[in-house]
Amino acid sequence: MNKHTDAWQILHVPDKPPIPPGQQPTVNVLASVIEPKIANTLVRRLNQIAPLENLRHVKRVQKKYLEGGKTQLAVILCLACENDNQLDSMQHDVREIVNAYRLSAFITKVSKSAASSKEEWEEQCKLWPTSYHPPTYNIDGITGFSEEDSQLVFSFMRFAVELAKSDDGLMVNAAVIVDPSVKQVIASARDEICSWNTCNNKSSIQTSSSQQLEVCITRSISNVVTDDSLLSKASTNELGRFTGVSCLYPWRWAEQQLSSPNSCYWHPLRHAALVAIESSAARDRLLFHGSREIEDKSFDMEHKSPSTGSPAKRQKLNMKNVEDHAKLDTLAEGNSSVSARPYLCTGYDIYLVWEPCTMCAMALVHQRIRRIFYAFTNPNAGALGSVHRLQGEKSLNHHYAVFRVLLPEEVMV
Amino acid sequence: MESPGEDFSPDTLAFMELALEQAKLALDSLEVPVGCVIVEDGKVIASGRNRTTETRNASRHAEMEAVDVLLKDWQKNGLSKLEVAKKFSKCHLYVTCEPCIMCAAALSILGVKEVYYGCTNDKFGGCGSILPLHLGCSEPLKSDGIPQGKGFKCIRGIMASEAVSLLRTFYEQGNPNAPKPHRPLTHQATH
Ligand SMILES: [Zn+2]
Ligand SMILES: [Zn+2]
Repeated sequence: MNKHTDAWQILHVPDKPPIPPGQQPTVNVLASVIEPKIANTLVRRLNQIAPLENLRHVKRVQKKYLEGGKTQLAVILCLACENDNQLDSMQHDVREIVNAYRLSAFITKVSKSAASSKEEWEEQCKLWPTSYHPPTYNIDGITGFSEEDSQLVFSFMRFAVELAKSDDGLMVNAAVIVDPSVKQVIASARDEICSWNTCNNKSSIQTSSSQQLEVCITRSISNVVTDDSLLSKASTNELGRFTGVSCLYPWRWAEQQLSSPNSCYWHPLRHAALVAIESSAARDRLLFHGSREIEDKSFDMEHKSPSTGSPAKRQKLNMKNVEDHAKLDTLAEGNSSVSARPYLCTGYDIYLVWEPCTMCAMALVHQRIRRIFYAFTNPNAGALGSVHRLQGEKSLNHHYAVFRVLLPEEVMV
Repeated sequence: MESPGEDFSPDTLAFMELALEQAKLALDSLEVPVGCVIVEDGKVIASGRNRTTETRNASRHAEMEAVDVLLKDWQKNGLSKLEVAKKFSKCHLYVTCEPCIMCAAALSILGVKEVYYGCTNDKFGGCGSILPLHLGCSEPLKSDGIPQGKGFKCIRGIMASEAVSLLRTFYEQGNPNAPKPHRPLTHQATH
């Protein structure tokens, strides 16, 4: 597809901040090397008398490969006492087992909490094997991308980066909403904080996305080859290029110069993600205006919840939501003229050049985006890991998966 | 944040009444009933209500609607960016439900002065419930002079029960367009 593929990379941005290697909290356990033939009996018995209640992620048995092709099994007997390093803290029935099988117990460390990323998990297993369960929601990509999917992610990100470039060498944020099931661009937008063109025909629908994508990529390649002025500008003032990126400097709008004085309006909140959401909503209204408003009501149920309602009541509301969702599905199926009406942006991905600010990230929660891909972190206002981490806010009613896409430098030129 | 109490000034209550009016308009249009007004120098200069259903855009909350009205008006009158920023810094927002994280972030970006709200929003609230965005950043200026998140004063609990009862009405009336057999839970909910 392109020759720079090796520099591209997709990283999952987990729900919890990653713990630096070697700094994961551990607890002490008592363990012992055992004969393989007694392993089953022993594990069953130990699980009964000394279950590892708060260490469900920790495997009871460790299998070690020794030199000469031999393996060695070790089993966790029980938790070790915090203050007391001695083995006599062992509970009575565990001690009986130790004596019966003539085990020699030793103290070792295991990871205290379940790994939240593959990297953390690998780190944990150096101490003692644990199991790793990627986040309970089932979103493609968390456990890795196929070559084909990766290439698709890279081309949509390239599209977003090209969209973010301006003729004067400055960059803005750009957003591309994609329906991955059909590999189609649903909406795309640039920041409109300096020029909000209200006269725009917002309802223009993009259908031939793959063609657009190709046009865009071709254009970018020719740009790189021919446009020398762009190159030199970028190298002299890298940072200055980015001062117009909405999500990077959201509070700076009042200082920013108007790009063109006679543009219709400017708007401090028209960040690329919000404009893209607006445009996908317009597409929705236009394509599916026949299917009644009723369907929209159910998702608004969860939109704001009054705090003074009793927990029982809230639960009822949630159950009602579930019911409405089910109803929605049947409605969509029953209506042959509208085969697959999107439920806001459910199932869609968004590509952003910069990590979105808090406002944009929350708007994407509201609009039910499935996955977010961004290329650059946003240390000033980023809400997907830098300043806040909305993907890990448990109270929210929707959670997307977040990925960072690393690009080769020349893509930005 | 000030704790809820009943000693709100008549003005405060009057503005919240107007916000509730907006919420009722939303309810009449089958939208989640949340409404707001923006006040400058004791005068209402904009109002807004939730329009997420109509627009199919889940970011069209009351606050965003009202802000759009202001930005259009002010620019029609030829105000510069700095003048607009100055105006926002004098504005008070009255909204029936605690601004969500998105709206609270937006209000911080715009630099509004004070926010008065009714009920809290413990799923999405951006003024203390989930994130305390109203507090702004501890250091308003980074070492390199980049302005960071501005905070705003928050007063909560104004006519909260009215705001909640509107939301409850919305949830309980269920979906008037939905076929009846699909709504057993809405009947239970009225008890
Ligand atoms: Zn943003
Ligand atoms: Zn909101």
